[in-house]
Formats: sequence, structure tokens, C-alpha cells
Amino acid sequence: MNNQLQSIVLDWIPNHSKVVDFGCGDGTLLKILAEKKSAIGYGVEIDGEKINACITNGVSVIQQDIDAGIQNYKGMGFDVAIMASSIQCLRRPKNAMKNILKVANECVITLPNFGNWELRLGLLKGKMPSSAQLPAKWYETKNLHLCTIADFEDLCAEESFNIKKKVYLNSRGSSSWLANTFPNLFAAEAVYLIG
Amino acid sequence: MKITSEKISFKDSLTLQSGHVLSGFDLMTETYGELNSDKSNAVLVCHAFSGNHHAAGIKDEEKKPGWWDEIIGDGKTIDTKKFFVVSLNNLGGCHGSSGPTSVAVDSGQPYGASFPEVSVRDWVETQKLLADHFGIDCWEMVAGGSLGGMQALQWAVSYPSRIKKAAIIAASSKISTQNIALNEVAREIIKKDANFHNGDYLAKGESPKKGLKAARMLGHITYLSESNMSKRFGRKLQDPENKMDADVNYEVENYLQYKGEQFAKTFDANSYILMTKAMDSFDPAKGFDNDLVACLQNAQAKLLIASFDSDWLFPKEYGLDIQMSAIKAGINSTYIELEGDYGHDSFLFHSDRYSAALKNFLNSNE
Repeated sequence: MNNQLQSIVLDWIPNHSKVVDFGCGDGTLLKILAEKKSAIGYGVEIDGEKINACITNGVSVIQQDIDAGIQNYKGMGFDVAIMASSIQCLRRPKNAMKNILKVANECVITLPNFGNWELRLGLLKGKMPSSAQLPAKWYETKNLHLCTIADFEDLCAEESFNIKKKVYLNSRGSSSWLANTFPNLFAAEAVYLIG
Repeated sequence: MKITSEKISFKDSLTLQSGHVLSGFDLMTETYGELNSDKSNAVLVCHAFSGNHHAAGIKDEEKKPGWWDEIIGDGKTIDTKKFFVVSLNNLGGCHGSSGPTSVAVDSGQPYGASFPEVSVRDWVETQKLLADHFGIDCWEMVAGGSLGGMQALQWAVSYPSRIKKAAIIAASSKISTQNIALNEVAREIIKKDANFHNGDYLAKGESPKKGLKAARMLGHITYLSESNMSKRFGRKLQDPENKMDADVNYEVENYLQYKGEQFAKTFDANSYILMTKAMDSFDPAKGFDNDLVACLQNAQAKLLIASFDSDWLFPKEYGLDIQMSAIKAGINSTYIELEGDYGHDSFLFHSDRYSAALKNFLNSNE
């Protein structure tokens, strides 16, 4: 997660929040949240090496598949649920969104935008495109349900997921005028506070 | 690795959870490595039901390495170059600590069946007195597998400020009904041995070895996984030259015969019954209206809960159950699922992910 994205998430999460991070990776975000926001954090991760990195980082982590696991976290008293660059890796993203909103009052979702012009250009060349946000080759990627910003926001409207805040970032990770004016074309990543 | 064996006598009386009072007691201990000057590098390892104080290294008098030798040692997962590791034979055991085979002061006879019932909480009390004896204010980690993991969990509940990390491996917050049932069969087998004499066999100079052997054979099956047994023995017939018993047909039979017999030579039947009873009754939530969440709320230690996928005696759901309660309680806790070839016994052996997780946990900071 880049610094800009990190500072946005830090900004949105109140002090002393109880946080669950689905797809927490090496636990860096939770570690920072614990240090700067006195948050009580738990990560959910399936990858063995990343889990070990969490343990080294002193971050609480649960080895579990997100698709199967989200609903186990209802009624646990979470203030915020985070899903950073993970929603597109799930088998049933819409269900996951519904469940995650039952886990916590608010959730932070970050999303790589498949509508970004660089990716469109790549596809125009006739090949599966890649970018800093989506670096993996088509045969290695964990992404199952890539979408554009427009797609995601359509889903939120259809399902009445209330977007409280959003920020669009360009491929350099900054919130530029261009990315915010034509997000579906110029944003590489979007970050939402939904609740 | 520096190994020190010592029997430590505690003179003060100890009131057990059952209400029984022991006027004093001994704990047989073994330590590995050296305690640093501020006594901040101490790790307590708790043994499973049939274990003892000999957790690591090879002692001169016996060739067998300790039960957690793959984990504890110089440069190993629990690195004795860095940590001072304390291991003990639990109260009620039969390897040097006070238990059914020790001589009662008042009668001059072995306690036998009259040794009072002990609980996991009692063990933690005695281990706390052991920490005091060494001048250890706070364990860097308390760790154990199976019944040992239950002690680590009890430590976090009983003495929140005296333990920084608890490694609860292949364990649960209470054992399953099926587990209690299996323990009862084992006890029944022992008690029905003609030499048991209601537990007072020592005074008669006898020992219910056959019962103990058969109980262990049953137990041993539950410690292994089905796939491990298949892989290791399959349906291979036993070589006739090396049969433990004329009736033995298959290798697996011979193996269980051998293991059972070896065990019966070194273990005491009353201790077996006592240890299984302690396992059955373990339930730290009981004092908190059966609410494990409330029970964990005061814990300050970080927990590492590890389950093995091939363990059917303490299946992973039990570990996950502790984890979910820990999350509800808002305490620091990690849950991992490990691949292990050896069923419940997997916790005894080194494997890359298991050792890395335990090592990283032990060496992680706030």
C-alpha cells in the first residue's frame, strides 16, 4: 500500500478503533494503525509467508480464506473493516461486500481501477495489460473479478452501499486533478469509506 | 547447550483446587541455556499428558532426546543461546515430582491412589512458585502442545502480568466429549487389570502393567493420523523374527505392542489416571459463567494458537474457537493452521512453517 493511500486510511480511522483487515498481507497497515491510532487490529490472511511476516511484525492474524471467513466476524465488535486490493480476488465480491458491512459499522475498500487508460491501451494492443497496481501476468494473477471504478460505483448504487467518502489516486499514487475529474479513465486506484 | 537437572522442594503447604492441602511438594526440573542478568529471557515449556521434565538434549543415563528436542536447543526454534528454558515434571507425575509414586510423609507409604486430584490450574500455581524460585518476574513465553498448550492458556488467564506470550499448540479450551470418552476407556482398562488393587499396587509390590500398556496402545492410535499410519505401516506383515507377541500379524500391531510395553515400563498407572482427569476437567471459562470471552478479557499476553490439519484428537475448530473468543475479548491473538504429518503428535516435531511461526512469535516485540 503506497504512502498516500496509507495516510488516507489512517485519516479515516478513528483512534482506538477495533479493526479487521481482510487480506492484510504482511500486516504493515495494522502495525501502523496500532502505533499511530492505538487501534486493536486483526488481520485475515491465507498466505503462509505473509502470515509469518505478520507474526514477525507483532500483528495479530488469523489464517483463513476470506470468502469463507468473513461472516465469522459478525458480532465481534469491529468498528472498521478494511479490504485493501482484495475485493477483486474474491469468488463472490457482492456477497462479500454485504457481509463486510455486517462485520463493522464502516468499511474501507480500495480497488485497482481496470478502466485506467494505461490498462485500456494495453488491451488495445491485444494483450492482457499490467500496471503497478496489477503487476501479475494473466496466468499468475489472483484477481477473479476485476472491475472499473464505474462498475464498482454502479454496484454500490444498486445495492445501496452508502459511499461516505472516496478518493481517486493516479498511477503515481497522488490525488491529482485529472484523476478526480475523470476517475474512470485517469485513476489507477480508488479508496472508499462505505457504511 | 547448558542442561541443568534439579529437584526443587517447596516447603510451604499448597491448597489444591479440589480443596486438598499438600504440606509440601517436589518439582523435578530441567533447564536449558542460561538466565540473563535481568531475568527477562525465560521460557516455560509445559509437557503434554505423558511427558516429563526432560524436554531437550540427551542425558547421559538414557539415550533418548527430550520430547521437544526438535524445537529446543542451540540455534533451534526456541534458541537456548538466547533463552533460558525451564521444563518440569508436573505435580502428580511420575518422573521425580511429587505424585502417586512418592512417599506420603504421614504414612511412610507411597501415596498411590490417595494422591489428591490435580488440575491444570494447580499446575500453573506450582509453576508460578517455580518462577518465584528462579526469580523470574515474567515469562517471555509459556509454550506447550496438547495438555501443555492448555497450561499456556491457563497461565495467560491466571497470571496476566507474569507472561508476555502464550503458545497454545494442538490444544483447546476444553476437550471434546469424544476425548473424555476415550480417556474413560483408558482408565477402565487400567482399573480392570488384576494387579491394580484399587490403585494401591505399589504397597503390594505389584504393577498393573498390562492395563497400562493396553491403555497406551489405545491412546497412541489417537495421537497419530490415519494417513500417517497408512503411510508408515500400510498392511505390511510383521517380520516373524521380531514379533513382540506370537499373535501379532501386522507391523502396526507390533509397533503398538512395542510402544505400549515401553510406556508401561516407565509410567505409573495412578499418574495416568490423574493426568487424564486433569485433562478432562480443564475449562478455564468455568469460573466465568462458561464465557471464554470474559475469561480472556483480562489476559495481557499475546497468544499464538496453532492447530494441525491432521489432528483429529484436537481438531482445528478448537483452536479457532479460542481465537474467535480472543478477538471478541479484544486481546492480541494469532491463529494458524499447519500441515502436520503426524496427527495430534505433529506438535512434537520440527516443520518449516511451524518452527518459523513459533520462532517469529517468540522473537517478536510489542
